[in-house]
Amino acid sequence: MDAAFLIESAVKVLIVLGFVLLGVPLIVWMERKVIGHMQDRIGPQRVGPFGLLQTIADGIKLFFKEDIIPAQADRVVFILAPALSVITAFVALTVVPFGDTITVAGRTVYLHITDVNVAILWVLGTTSMGVYGIVLGGWASNSKYPLLGGLRSSAQMISYELAQGISLVSVILMTGTLSLASIVRQQEHMWFIVPQFFAFVIYILCGIAETNRAPFDLPEAETELVAGFHTEFSSMKFALYFLAEYANMMVVSAIAISVFFGGWRGPFLPPVVWFLIKLSLFLFFYVWLRATFPRLRYDQLMAFGWKVLLPASLLNLTVTAVVVALQNNP
Amino acid sequence: MTEAILFSLFSFSAVVFAFNVIFRKNPVHCALHLVGVLLSLSGMFVLLNAQFIAAIQILIYAGAIMVLFLFVVMLLNVRGEVPLLTPGAAKGFGFFFALIAFVEVLWVVVTHGGAEGTPQPPAPLPPGFGSPAEIGRILYTTWLFPFEVTSILLLIAVIGAVVLAKRKFA
Repeated sequence: MDAAFLIESAVKVLIVLGFVLLGVPLIVWMERKVIGHMQDRIGPQRVGPFGLLQTIADGIKLFFKEDIIPAQADRVVFILAPALSVITAFVALTVVPFGDTITVAGRTVYLHITDVNVAILWVLGTTSMGVYGIVLGGWASNSKYPLLGGLRSSAQMISYELAQGISLVSVILMTGTLSLASIVRQQEHMWFIVPQFFAFVIYILCGIAETNRAPFDLPEAETELVAGFHTEFSSMKFALYFLAEYANMMVVSAIAISVFFGGWRGPFLPPVVWFLIKLSLFLFFYVWLRATFPRLRYDQLMAFGWKVLLPASLLNLTVTAVVVALQNNP
Repeated sequence: MTEAILFSLFSFSAVVFAFNVIFRKNPVHCALHLVGVLLSLSGMFVLLNAQFIAAIQILIYAGAIMVLFLFVVMLLNVRGEVPLLTPGAAKGFGFFFALIAFVEVLWVVVTHGGAEGTPQPPAPLPPGFGSPAEIGRILYTTWLFPFEVTSILLLIAVIGAVVLAKRKFA
């Protein structure tokens, strides 16, 4: 392990971290602006050109808000929970390839922080750890609505994780690898969205449910649960939950791009630009969904996950397995 | 050198978390420290070139099973429960099992240890050691029978869970 490798890794970590921290305010601005126009409003437009600095201003405001910890709360867990949410979201991004190799001062630099041979399992593992942030936040508040929101969300996330994992397994069967970088490398001639369209549909539905976004945002359904698990959180702790939600959206989108949409591949433009274009389209899709669909009822949500998505993903896996077996032994 | 530092880090944190699992009064805190133990162990698996096992450890144990544990601990109010053993009896059992474990370790050390002199350097790993492909190959060739028996066992457990959940408590 030489010094150059350490410096290279540190620089890559800083770039990704900075990108997420600067990207989240932009996404929030985009969300408010797009939803505004979809609802025939203007959206933020006062702070900075086109209201671009509005979310930065909101962030600064949250910094200076009073940080309230309820008297009956479990202090340590209450502080730990939002941090846990953010950490798990960021750690998942370490294995995402966001470009091809580049050469800096005679060194070949791979544009991903690390390429482990179990990358997909790593991402699934960290997202399953993300449940803790929410369920502990709900429990530590020691208050009824947060607890209900936390329990709802853990049940929801565990249910949808299953179908999400299985939908990715069908792509793993085709490529024979768990590494995201080699999955992207194998999509030179065809994006995997073409042979694995159903796997993609299942994956993205589960991804939206995993990130607790509309129309699956039951854990924070304001009409029944106030604000769900983050009711008692204020100031920067609330901001951390906010950050984690948007970072998780980035993770789900980045994995979808790498596995189904050829990762950084694309004609003419540099690979990193293609990756960013695809990422923005995915995030726009998230916002579009939120502006379009009403929230599901809780029993509908669970029934949809267990009785529709899970059998569908298993069926897709079986068909893929048969086709792969026939191709290998004609 | 790096490996030694990381090993000390992971083993130290595993032991500290394990102590906390036992000594914490609040059951939710105990469960959280158990998650810490599992994560430390996962780090050790990576040091042993078993990345697949490490990822599975996080995904299944820390991510899925412990969440369900936490769920149960949070919903049942464990504090009101009557302990199964009196404190004295519990201590007796503890010392009894600790003694058995100690004798076992002593037995292994006495029968196998110390005779060969200087320790040998570890043998080089075969290519692909610990990779998902290699583990899959071994599971479906050498260990096919135990693998299939385990799958049937799990199937029985799943059916059992469904039967229990469907029962009417009227």
